[in-house]
Order: sequence, then C-alpha cells, then structure tokens
Amino acid sequence: MDLVTVTGLSKRYGGIVALSDAEFTARAGEVHALLGENGAGKSTFIQILSGAVSHDDGTILIDGKNFRPANPDDARARGIAAVFQELSLIPDLTVEENIWFRHEPMTAIRTVDRAAMRRQTLELLARYAFPPLRPDQELRRLTLAERQIVEIAKGLAKAPRILILDEATSALPAREAGWLLKLTRQLAGEGKLVIFISHRMAEVRAIADRLTIFRNGRTVAAHEANAVSDGEIVAQMIGRNLDRLYPERVPSATDRVALKVDNIASGSRLQGVSFAMREGEVLGVGGLQGHGQRELFQALFGTAKASGRIELWGKPTVIGNPRAALIGRDGIALVPEDRRGQGLLLTKSVRENLTLAVIKRFSDRGFLNSRKEAALVKEMVDFLRIKAETPDQLAGTLSGGNQQKVIFGKMLLTEARVLLLYDPTRGVDVGTKGEIFQLMRDLAAKGYAILFHSSDMPELVHVADRVLVMRNGRIAATLDGERITEENILGAAMLEVEAA
Amino acid sequence: MNTFLARNRLILLAYAGMVVLLLVTAMFSPGFLSASNLRSTVVLAAFVGIVALGQTLVIIVGGIDLSIPWVLNSAAIVMALLCGSQDTPLVWVVPLVLAGGAAIGFVNGAGVAWFGVPPIIMTLATNVILQGLILVLTGGSPAPSVPDLIKFLSVGRIGPLPVIAFIWLALALIATLLLSKAAFGRHLYALGTSATVAEFSGVPTARTTIVTYVISGLTAALAGMLLTGYSGQAYLGMGDAYLFTSIAAVAIGGASILGGSGHYLGTVAGALVLTILTGLLPALNLSNGALLIVYGAVILITVSIGSEIFAGIGSRLRGKGGSLDG
Amino acid sequence: MSATVAPRPVDSEQRPGVDWRVRLLDRAPFLVACLMLAVIVAIYGSYQTGVFTLDELNLDTAASMTLMLAATGQTIVLLRGGIDLSIGGMISLGTVIAATQFAEEPGSVAIWSVAILALGFSVGALNGLLISMLKLQPFLVTLATWSILNGVAMLILPTDGGSVPGWWVAFGYAQFLGLSSPVWMLILLFVFWTWFRATRLGITIKATGSNEKSAFLSGVSITRINVATYGLSGLFAAGAALFLTTQIGAGSPTIGKDYILPSVAAAVIGGVSLFGGRGHLAGTLIGAFILTLIGNLVFVLKVSSYWQPVVSGVILLLSVLASSVAEKAARARAQ
Repeated sequence: MDLVTVTGLSKRYGGIVALSDAEFTARAGEVHALLGENGAGKSTFIQILSGAVSHDDGTILIDGKNFRPANPDDARARGIAAVFQELSLIPDLTVEENIWFRHEPMTAIRTVDRAAMRRQTLELLARYAFPPLRPDQELRRLTLAERQIVEIAKGLAKAPRILILDEATSALPAREAGWLLKLTRQLAGEGKLVIFISHRMAEVRAIADRLTIFRNGRTVAAHEANAVSDGEIVAQMIGRNLDRLYPERVPSATDRVALKVDNIASGSRLQGVSFAMREGEVLGVGGLQGHGQRELFQALFGTAKASGRIELWGKPTVIGNPRAALIGRDGIALVPEDRRGQGLLLTKSVRENLTLAVIKRFSDRGFLNSRKEAALVKEMVDFLRIKAETPDQLAGTLSGGNQQKVIFGKMLLTEARVLLLYDPTRGVDVGTKGEIFQLMRDLAAKGYAILFHSSDMPELVHVADRVLVMRNGRIAATLDGERITEENILGAAMLEVEAA
Repeated sequence: MNTFLARNRLILLAYAGMVVLLLVTAMFSPGFLSASNLRSTVVLAAFVGIVALGQTLVIIVGGIDLSIPWVLNSAAIVMALLCGSQDTPLVWVVPLVLAGGAAIGFVNGAGVAWFGVPPIIMTLATNVILQGLILVLTGGSPAPSVPDLIKFLSVGRIGPLPVIAFIWLALALIATLLLSKAAFGRHLYALGTSATVAEFSGVPTARTTIVTYVISGLTAALAGMLLTGYSGQAYLGMGDAYLFTSIAAVAIGGASILGGSGHYLGTVAGALVLTILTGLLPALNLSNGALLIVYGAVILITVSIGSEIFAGIGSRLRGKGGSLDG
Repeated sequence: MSATVAPRPVDSEQRPGVDWRVRLLDRAPFLVACLMLAVIVAIYGSYQTGVFTLDELNLDTAASMTLMLAATGQTIVLLRGGIDLSIGGMISLGTVIAATQFAEEPGSVAIWSVAILALGFSVGALNGLLISMLKLQPFLVTLATWSILNGVAMLILPTDGGSVPGWWVAFGYAQFLGLSSPVWMLILLFVFWTWFRATRLGITIKATGSNEKSAFLSGVSITRINVATYGLSGLFAAGAALFLTTQIGAGSPTIGKDYILPSVAAAVIGGVSLFGGRGHLAGTLIGAFILTLIGNLVFVLKVSSYWQPVVSGVILLLSVLASSVAEKAARARAQ
C-alpha cells in the first residue's frame, strides 16, 4: 500500500497560484525524488506536507488516513520530518540542544537530562555515520555546511517515517553530499520514505527509486527512475523550448579593459584572484557553491575587506565600501544576491527604491526636485517594463521578477558601466529571466562590462562570453567560445574537490 | 500630496484625535478655549515638540535617544550659570551650549555607528555621565536666574501669539524640509528601514546616523535653554519628564519604534495631544495618577492602531512573498 | 593557526576541540564584569577596613537585592530579546499596596504578599499578551503599562508614605547562620537560575530570543513564551517591591523608575546581550553588585557622591565596548 497519497492539492497566495491540483504517491522504503524548476510548486508542496503551510483544497492520505496538519507538530506526530533549505536552528544553542530542541530527555526535577542527551546524540551520530560534529559547540560558530548537517540530525532525531530533504546537498561539500546520498539509501533500507528534492540530476539518478515532476504548480509526470531518460525528465520539467529563453549571443567585447583585478583576496574563502574584463563583455563566474564567488563580488563592491589591486577603466581604485563603488559612470554597481535583505526596501515605494542610489541626480542645491525624480523613475520603469500600478506602489507588493527589475533599475540609474550581477535570476519567473538575459546582452552591446554569477549552470553556458571557474578561492579555469560547456565547468570546478 | 496622506494615515488620526480632545475639553471646561489657556498649551507643547524633533529623527533611523533629559538639563544649567540674568553673554553662550549638545549627540552617534553599541545603552550611558558631571559642577544647587531675552523667547508674545510658537513653527518647517525634501531624509528612511539595503545602495550610513544624533543633541539643548525662561531658573531634574513625553509624542504621532517610518508633523500632533491631556485632567478634577493612566492608554491605543495598519501592509507583502519560493 | 594545541574534552573523538581562545572570547563580557568587580572590591578594601567580612557582605547584598530581583526579571526578558520598562510601575505599585494594606498580623502580610506577586505575574502576562496578539514592540507596550501602573500607584498613595509592620522590616535584616536574609535570597536566586536555565521553558525562552523564526518553525508558541517571559519579569518586579518595603519601611509611588534602566544596565554589564539569546544571571547579579558598590567606592574615596552616575556610565560603556570587541575577535578567529 502507498504510504502517502495526495490528490487535488491546491494552494493560492493572494492572487497567485502556487499549487494547483497536484498529485503524488509514494511508498515506504523508497527514495522518491521531487523535480521541477524554481517556482514549480515543490517547496509549497513539502511545506504543506510538513505542516508549515495549510492547503486550500485537496486531500492527503497517510496510511490511508486523512491528514491535515495545523502546524509542524501535527506533522511530526504522524512521523513526518522536514529538512528545509531555510534552517530552523537556534544560533545560541549548542549542537545537541538544537538536535533535541523541545524533545529533550528530562530529569525528575523537570530539567534537561544532559547526560542522556549527550548519549542520545552520540548514538544518533554514530548510527548514521555523521561527519564529525561536536555536540557541545554553539551553532553560531559552525559553517553553513555543518549547520545543514545539524539540521539533518535534528530531522532524524524525531525518528520519522517520512523524511523530506529540500535541496539538502546544495550547501554541502562533495564528501558530505556523498554521505547524505548513502544515508538516504540507508533510511530507505530501514523502511522509511525519503522525499528528496535536488537540482542535480546525477544525485537523483544515483539514489531515487521513483520520481515525480512538477511544473507551474501541477504534477506533470511520475516515473520509476530506471524507466525514463534524462532528456525526457528535462523536457517534462521545462515544458518549453529552451532556445527562446536565451537571446542570441553576439560578441560585443572590445579591446578596452573595463575592470582589471590583480590578486584580490579576502578571508579564507578568496585566496587570490586575477582577471581582466573588457568593455562589452559578459564574463561568467562559475564553480560549486562556496568556492569564493560570493567573496569575490563582495570584495569588488566593497562590502568585505579585501587585499589586492583593482583598476577601473585603467585607473587604480580603492573600494572600501559601496559608496566608493557607486561613483557614477566610472564606478561599479551590484545587483546583490539577497533581493529582500540587500536589494530592496520592501516597505518603501518603487520610486524611492529606484532613486535611492542617485539622489544627487535630482537635487537642486540640496533640495529634491520631484519633477526630475519622476522623469528618472519613468525612464527606468519604461526601459525595464516594470509592472507597477503607480511609482508609489510599495516595492514589497511587486512580483519577484518586478522586484528584481527595480533593483536593476536602481543600479542602472547610477550609470555605472561595470555591473556585478550575483545570481540575478534566482526566484524570478521564466518570462522575466528571458528579459534579464536580453537586457544583459543589450547592455554589453552598449559597452557595459558585466560580471555574472549564476547558481544555474546552463545560464552561464548560454549567456556568458567567457566563464571563470572558481575552486577553493582561486580561478581554476577560464573557458571561452566552444569550451563553455556544463561538462567543462563542472570538470574544472570539481577536479580538486574530488581529490581532496 | 495625496500619496503622502494615504501613507501617513496615522498622522491624520493624531490630528483628528487632537481636535476631538480639544472639543471634549472645551465641553467640560469652557475656559479651556480661552486665548490665554490655548496660548499656555502651545507654549508647553512647544517644549515637548522641540525635544521630540530630535527624538523623531532618531526613532526614524531605528534608534532611541535616552540622553535627552540630561542634555536638556545640562544646557539649561550651563546657560543659566554662564549668563546669570544678563542678556549680552547669550551671544557666545547660546552657540557654545548648542555646540555642547551637538558634541554629545556626536558621541552618541559615533558609539552607535562606529562601535556598534546598542542605542539604548549608548544614550543611557551618556545620560548618566552627564547627570553626574552636572551634579558635580553645580554641587546640586539650581541656577536661580535667567536672562530676560530667554524669558521673552519662551513666554513672551508677538501680537496674540507666543514667541516660542514661531520658533517651533520654524523648526517644524526645517524638519519637514529635511525629511521630505532633502537627500538626508531619504537616507534616514532608507537606513531606518534596512541598514543593509541602505549600505548596498551607497547611503552614507555612519554619517547619517551621527548627524541624526547630533540634531537630537541640538534640539534637546535648545529646549533646555528655552525651558529656563518658562521656569525662571535652571534646576536639577527639569529634563526628567521629557524622556517619556518625547518618546510618547513620537509614538502617538505614528512613527514605528522599529524605524523607517513616521514624520515630524505627526510628532507635532503627538506633543499637542499630550499637552492638552495634561490640561484636561485638572479640569475634570483628576489627579496626576489618572493622567499617567490616560497617557499609557493613549500610547497603547495609538500604537495598536498603527500596528493594525502596518500588519495590513505586512500581510500584503507576505502574500506576495509566499509565491516566490512556491 | 599556531603551535599551541587546544585541550581536547573527553567527548571530542568527533572533532578537534574548539579553539580555547574563542571560548574565552565568548565569555569575555562576563569575565570583564568579574574583573571590574574584583578591582572595585580591591580598591574599596584598601581604603576601608572590614570589607572582607560577613557583615559587609550582608550589608551590600541588602543594598543590592531590590535591583538584583528587578534585574533577574529583566535578564529573562532580555534573553527573550525584549525589554521590560513596566517593572518600574510594578515596583512602585507593589510598595504602595504593601504600605497601605499590610496589617500587623502575619496573616494579612502573607495574603497581600501573595496578592502582589500574583498581580505582578498577571500584569507581566498581559504585557506578553499585548506584545504577541497586537504584534507590538515590547519597548512601547511596557512604556505604556509602566505609565498606567505608575498612575494606579499614585491613585492609591499620592506621595511617599504608609507603613509596613516592624517585624516585616526586621525580616529584611534577619540573620540565619551568620548570613542575612538578603544573602540567603541571593543563594536562592542562584539555585533558582541553575534550575530554571536547564528547564525546557528556560531553554525555549533563550532559543526564542536567539532566533524567533527558527523557534517558531520548531513548533514554539511565541505567544505562550511571551506570556511566560513577561509574567516572570512582573513576578520578580513584585518580589523586588516586597523586598524594597523591608528596606524603606513605607511605600513610594515614584521609586520604581530608579530601577528600570539600572536593571538593564546591570544585565548588560554582566554580559547579557540586548539582542537576545545570550547571557547568564550570574553576570547580571555581578553587574548589580558593581552598580551598588560604586556608591561605597565613591564614599570611601571621599569624592562627591555625584561622581557615582559618572562612574556607572563609564563602566556601562566599557562593558559594551569590551563585548563588541570580543565578539569581533571571536568571529575572526572562529572562521
């Protein structure tokens, strides 16, 4: 009998349909992969299953019995544990306190039985052959990968029958990711159901018994894993012609160097990187996550302390903070990684957001000229086709794609011709993605130089003129022309990691 | 302007509340609407309003200024000690005292912006340090006389209107220009909404924070000097009441204590509401205790209304946000 | 990093030990507080004879106990990531109720004491409810309830006055085994804290202050935690009020405000973080001792007592600067 049966599951957020009529069945003792693009509805689906979000319509049966959790505790009571990308850990508690939080073994005087907790922790870690962790270390001192592992331990501590892993490998180095894959097989062998979400086809291939594919909030297919090819899976995930997403790549790079970076280093993650980016060039930055890409962008925009030399348009420049970067035509602008935390004032208007970095451009003797401001805003709203009712609409009420356009607009208004784009299409709908790529090519054609990082490898392959592959804080390879392929990027990115 | 009002409903509410309060007071105490009574209400409200100007800016930037009581008190004492009852020294004493207020604001702002000290602790510390220094300086005795010019500025009249009303009006105008029409205002709101986004947008975060606390030091010092004109002397403890009233005026005026929202025009209404209440209760034969209870209730009610409105905005944001990671 | 090998605890077969310097830096704010207390006691002791006696301990503890009780509640609220200004109102209200209602017989004192404690808890719980249900900022809610409670206190007793039974005052100085009742209360506070911080409630309060969202995702009811946190703070404020009546023998509708910011200062000096999740009561109690002893110090140094607030302010600033420097260093080292 199926352990989980879902029929007709729907969820709406305001006017936006996140999940519509989704179907899902899974058996005990299997690893079941959930596939789909960003925004396909996978996250909403597992949030409902784990009790974090309640659904509008549809039924969930577990062991044939109806299941409608009001909160995560309800789901836990029925044996469901979820490990989300957004971690639920407490920075000021220790590893073991986090693992057993709210389920600690207690003594007779209603205090936590520390000895028992330590015993249970070591047992748990040993039973599943966890990578090294110190039970008594405070969580805030751990790396992201270590935290991810603690989160997995926290999920397993509840001895769940159903374990949901949401892109749990994405934050893990290769060896730990390998451990996690083995772990899923071990759990399936124990008769548990593992629902596994990943964007990495190889992982899915390695461990999944069955897979379900989501697209645009619907279930499009369910397969036995060995009965379907990679090509079929991708086609069903994407459901459209890829060619339309990416604009034609017309090389526009000149010989003039826009940004020259010489041996730039920052902290332990960025170990010394040198490269030159030319006018009219889209330069991709790839590699596995956590190999210095973020630190490189931070160093170039002045949000992290760094050593090394930077030349902009031939002139040596010191960038100690974003203000030193945002100096007009000869400066550098950044579209940051965290749209809501770094890019946008959610409770302020589109207008205020767009012009925040260029207040001088519409000031007369210190006073704001609202007519000039309105003209600048209109220019950007039209140019980027930002869909807002009025410029006074709050930025936080726009769709993800339009929010990202506002951030682009804010940076374009600074007129800086060296642009840093850190994963600019993350969480953006497909239509806007296409627009963003087209925009990048258009800007390059106008002589902008664009440094472009994406966590989605095909984007680098299809949009960049050249790709720097980073590994252990250095540039492991520079690929251009025909050599920009997913295989080459991955090959350069993983070589040493595999050897380590 | 329409959008300004739409997004500042709380300010309108504060003014509406003030008018209602005036009418109610007039019903219970017919003399309340007399020219002289209104005049003294405005004078008292002006002190609160001037002090609360700095507090408004500090709260918009996401901080709080607890050093106001003794900045105010120090300014009053130093001015009165240096001038006695003579007007001429004011020429250099007023700039000196204002510079002192600004210097303390600078220390507060630098501690917050450069050293990351929580505003509550930073301004609490400067407050007690100033308190001690002034006590040491004066030996605990008040400065008994103040210049006539100061008296004129705080309780004198031009035609039917109190002089201080003009000072307050001028300051309100400057504050409104700063908040609505100057780059500084944009920086202030951006910084109070999200320090990270502001930093990433090239806002001079440290400078904006420091200037904000400097302004708060200036307005507290100015209010302190003017207040001596009203009381006829500078005594120890004269600033204590202004900590609570400055924060309360800002809260009633609709600013969020979390920063990023609010306007001085709201604080003006808040200062008037608080002062009218102070006048209303004796008219109703109610004691100081009842006044404190009413103060508390008014703060609770206004911040609840504000939180409802913000919650509305928040749920709209969440509704949209939820779809992002669907 | 360097040639020194970090000591390895027994359970460390899992992973090499945490850099001991990081551990030391994590505890720096508390250690700095201990150091400051030691320096103050040393100076005090070198100017005054009889400092290192039980009598002196009894006296100083009595002088600190009201602040200690108030700061205990404040510490719990700060760990939760909030702040409670209403304790000022509750302390005033508690003293005036006691001073107007306590009759000579122990039964009346007992009943009214319980009533005051219950009132403290209820008022605090109401703070917690308002904060959670209306999604209001603790600072403003407790500012408002401070005003309201203070107002009620002034309605009951407009000026300082009333009285409590003589035996109740004597109880504040009573000795048992050479230790006065405040010292025994201090010991009780320690025992309470050792127990409380290990309870699930204690851990959950700390966890919620450390990261509210994570706590919520782990199934914590934020409303329930707020009610418990502010309820406890109100309870300890009421306790502070009762103890205070043994010291002043009367009620005062205005005395409470003298404990609001010092309670925060004592906690911060002792290393409790204003951002929630970090700190211990031991630090707070040391902080309270420091603030009290500065008074003694100023006295024996024969300088004007007006220097006392100056010294407190400087110490407060030094503590926060020390913790911010230590945190930066720890973060740099932990990477």
